Amino acid sequence: MSYLGQQLVNGLTLGGVYALIALGYSLVYGVLQILNFAHGDVYMVGAFLGYFVELALGGPTKSIVPVPIMLFLMFAISMIGTGLLGIVIERFAYRPLRGSSRIAPLISALGVSILLQNAAQLIFSANIRSYDTSSFIPSTLGFSIGDVTIDSVRITVLILAFALMFALSRWVNKTQVGRAMRAIAIDRDAAVMMGIDIDKVIRWTFFVGAALAAAAGVMNGLLLRGVSSGMGFVPGLKGFTAAVIGGIGSIPGAMAGGLLLGVVESLTQGYLSTNFSDFYTFILLIAVMLLRPNGLFGKKAIVKA
Amino acid sequence: MKKFSRLSVVALSSAIALSGAGAVVVASPANAAACSGTVAIMAPLTGGVAFIGVQQAEFAKLAVADYNKKNGTSFITKDYDTQLDAAQASTQAPNIVADKTTIGIMGPAGSQEVLATGGLFGANDIAVVSPSATRTNLTAGTYPSFFRSVPNDSQQGPGDADFMVKNLKAKEITVIEEKTAYGTGLATEVMAQLKKLKVKATKYSVNEKNADYAALVTRVSKTSDFVFVTFQDAAKSESVAQELIKQKKKAVVFGSDGSDQPTFKTKGTYVSAFAPDIKGIPSSAAVIAGYKSTYNKTDADITTFGPPAYVAAQVIVEAAGRVCAAGKTADAKSTLAEIFKTKIAKSVLGGPIAFTDKGDVKGGRFYVFQTQADGSRKLVG
Amino acid sequence: MSEQQGLGIGTDEWVAQHEKRLARRSGLLGILDLLNQKVSPAIRYGILGVAAIAFGLFVDDFYLQRIAANLGVFLILTLGLNVVMGFAGLLDLGFVAFFGFGAYAYALTSSGHLNQHWPTYLSVPAIVIVTAFLGYLVSLPSRRLFGDYLAIVTLFFGQVFIQLIISSDSITFPGNEESTDITGGSNGIPGLDPFVLFGYKFKGAADYYWLLLVILVFLIIAIIRVDRTRVGRAWKTVREDSLASQAMGIKVNNLKMLAFIVGAAIAGLAGTIFAGIQNSVFINGFDMPLLTLIYAAVILGGSGSIPGSILGAFVMSVLPEILRVQNYSEILFLSVLILTIAVLGKSWKKFAFNIALVVLIGFLVKVIVSALNIATTPAATWAIAPVSKALQHWLVIPQSRLLWGNIGFVLLISLIAYYSIAKEKIKFYLLPLITYVAIFVWEDRLVIEPNTTRQLIIGMLLVVLMIVRPQGFLGKTRVEVL
Repeated sequence: MSYLGQQLVNGLTLGGVYALIALGYSLVYGVLQILNFAHGDVYMVGAFLGYFVELALGGPTKSIVPVPIMLFLMFAISMIGTGLLGIVIERFAYRPLRGSSRIAPLISALGVSILLQNAAQLIFSANIRSYDTSSFIPSTLGFSIGDVTIDSVRITVLILAFALMFALSRWVNKTQVGRAMRAIAIDRDAAVMMGIDIDKVIRWTFFVGAALAAAAGVMNGLLLRGVSSGMGFVPGLKGFTAAVIGGIGSIPGAMAGGLLLGVVESLTQGYLSTNFSDFYTFILLIAVMLLRPNGLFGKKAIVKA
Repeated sequence: MKKFSRLSVVALSSAIALSGAGAVVVASPANAAACSGTVAIMAPLTGGVAFIGVQQAEFAKLAVADYNKKNGTSFITKDYDTQLDAAQASTQAPNIVADKTTIGIMGPAGSQEVLATGGLFGANDIAVVSPSATRTNLTAGTYPSFFRSVPNDSQQGPGDADFMVKNLKAKEITVIEEKTAYGTGLATEVMAQLKKLKVKATKYSVNEKNADYAALVTRVSKTSDFVFVTFQDAAKSESVAQELIKQKKKAVVFGSDGSDQPTFKTKGTYVSAFAPDIKGIPSSAAVIAGYKSTYNKTDADITTFGPPAYVAAQVIVEAAGRVCAAGKTADAKSTLAEIFKTKIAKSVLGGPIAFTDKGDVKGGRFYVFQTQADGSRKLVG
Repeated sequence: MSEQQGLGIGTDEWVAQHEKRLARRSGLLGILDLLNQKVSPAIRYGILGVAAIAFGLFVDDFYLQRIAANLGVFLILTLGLNVVMGFAGLLDLGFVAFFGFGAYAYALTSSGHLNQHWPTYLSVPAIVIVTAFLGYLVSLPSRRLFGDYLAIVTLFFGQVFIQLIISSDSITFPGNEESTDITGGSNGIPGLDPFVLFGYKFKGAADYYWLLLVILVFLIIAIIRVDRTRVGRAWKTVREDSLASQAMGIKVNNLKMLAFIVGAAIAGLAGTIFAGIQNSVFINGFDMPLLTLIYAAVILGGSGSIPGSILGAFVMSVLPEILRVQNYSEILFLSVLILTIAVLGKSWKKFAFNIALVVLIGFLVKVIVSALNIATTPAATWAIAPVSKALQHWLVIPQSRLLWGNIGFVLLISLIAYYSIAKEKIKFYLLPLITYVAIFVWEDRLVIEPNTTRQLIIGMLLVVLMIVRPQGFLGKTRVEVL
């Protein structure tokens, strides 16, 4: 029982990170109906920015500010910086292609992905960096329920992930921009005719999507995963999968899909096989696609010309 | 109609560009008067494991520059990026063979690349000195021009297993096999030795692309004494070590030489390496200082992959230098013959370097270190 | 071809003329178009064929032969993907898995690994059939899926394929103590048998080159013919509007599955030849980088166009090799930069003004630097390739290259970011500044790291080309009916 509990904790942490990445895919897809293949690399840039904020504040062991403030600054600066990068990517790689075929932005996104990876290698060097979290947040810090241990980094990551998802739902549902975003997702032409500034909404969408990916990047760094220029591909793929499982374009779907994917991965690795877990995820994906071709939360698309 | 339009033009220009590339390849034969030649560097300079290849290339270039400065020779290097992909390595191989100034190859990084190209280089008498291809059977005689500046898996794996069981009295060991040519080869050797020693051992395999080890660590049994990891990226070893602490497991991480990097620093962990700490060797200080100033790096940037590349390149240029000293022109064939006679009294790795007739380092051995509270390593065996 | 029957699907009168207008307007391309319009397709393919035969006869450089053989394999793959994605419009991101399957199947049936040595005339056709069947299996769960959902399922299929191959080196069958090595795992399978056809044992890339040439001729003819049949036309209607074509009584699901199967079979064939050329198989060659290149080739050339696929394959397979030579990559970089200014500047007058301003900035910086006596890196150490040599009278490189290069790189990105939100008037003056910084960063930093730069250029090329010509080189502008 405690074994299962521990694996669920592992899975939920992992899933929280996936969900944040998945949200970026879904937000962009909802508004523009394009697959932002560079999203995984945006996440990588976020992780790097967090690392450099940490360095700028004196490094893991000699930080000039208290740990909570350092964490706050790492998240805040990385999210804003990466959000701005998201806007730039949209402006340069996607906006000129708006209205052309669906495949052109896909290739453009692949180009951006290659660009980001290699620019990162050039500027940040090819070395793998580590946040070295254990130097400022001891790994022994945390609490246990029975045999299930939850360390402080996991708690931070879990709380923050859920807080960000909650904030996002509020933003989408309650603000002017959020409403405009939903309107565009339903019918772009009608939204434009209603006087919605579509460029502004798309800018916001990319900003928020990239900022969430950056938060996921910093979280993964804190969970002690190496930071390097090639780190974005797998989380990008998983986030994309989570978005599809949940129903691409759907915000609750992306959250549910991410969490589900994380838990399934942990459980298959814990009970079945450590290196075939992607295979089981694939089976889950196929099963969802067969039973609900539009994902768990996706609305049935009305196919029209 | 337009669809066909520019096709022929492009075909033509491609052909011109191609022949141009060919001209560059075959141009400029070696200048016989001065002692010169090209050291081909085959390494993953871009892509997912660029962190290995970039440092290898940097150290190799440093070795060539150092030698040139000392001896007034004019050896140069040329990069061949392979992305650790055997297909790219085997495409570049004929390019290297066609370059008549090539005197030897520093690289390739991966054992699988040696498998894909070793035959061609052997047939053309071009020496291949790899700084990181450790698969045991590469030196079984199949590739007559293959050398490596590091000991192989059969020198490391069984030694590490013996150390854990005999010196550290381990009763139960978990082995994490990363599914790479490096990880698989090493894990197989370790498992075989543990079986021989009759110690309870469990092997878990993980994919290289995986980065989350929480689920795996939960799976490690509570009675396990050691978790032997075969990662090439020390940040992963550190992640496993910290995760073990978080989940209150008693097992201690024992890393292979791939983990011998500053990012792996949890107190009490062990790591094996083919050299004593390079930064602590007085005779290597000049090389380390030269590296840091040339490439604007700090101590923390130096991984376990760089210094062997320095030695590999050094072996090639020194052999070619001896050919010149004998009054002949250094080419691939004469350099290869000289490499067999390599005798470096004290390399940057701390020990002497000489090769067996199969291409392995003579008397290559591994050292075991334990990590201290401040992250430094203490030699324990 | 479809254009001989008038307008293709998805195009209309205005679009067709629009393209002509564009062609007339752009000077050099217009002349080339005019020149080429007078030559029939058959002659163009003929010229290409003669060039290919001449290459095979007269080029005996091993490296060029190998590149040509690689190009041949890449061409087969591009043509195969063009059927799946270009004709039928299916976003199959697991395409390289079929390629890998073919290669591995050949390795297992023609090596000492499992001690199987099948004759080539038996193994290759068998593998093509089995790969086609695998394509059928993958298409089963996919047939109900559209666009992006299909993309993710197939993308994952590709990843799972890699995982299965890597992990199948220690499979323990029930009742067996020892585990069996089926695929060689991450060590791959070296030492394959070469092809043997009509009693001739293939020796090197040159032999495979001729085989590839023959296969390509048949493949191109076959695809052109299929394109003109009922199936070919039906594929395009499915691509353009699957609902409408279903209403017309076209069996959409069957057609999609057929495209999948044909694509898989072609990729499997390419895989066997690739394994033969390389003499060994390793799993990391069948991952995302290759998929990206193939997709880029098909789309750059123009999705759905056969000559486009050929052109795209040339660009994406030969270009990375050309970029290994510094001088060529410099020329390409500067051309792309100038092209970008031309596109962003919109008119020739502005373009000329921008270029003049760039030159001016360069001399200005040079004068200031020499007036203040700031230490610089001597030109002899950085100006090595001909293009750099030409630039040395104009550009200054500071003493600490790495530091300034990184500062320049970050400045460049920030300037571009600012450019994206700046007002038109500021943009106009910003562009020359960005160009100068770009050239500086290139000469200072990027030439030191040619390999990263090579990748950067490929990435840049994809983005810029999509913006300049979203339909690809030889593709047709489509009217999106909204």
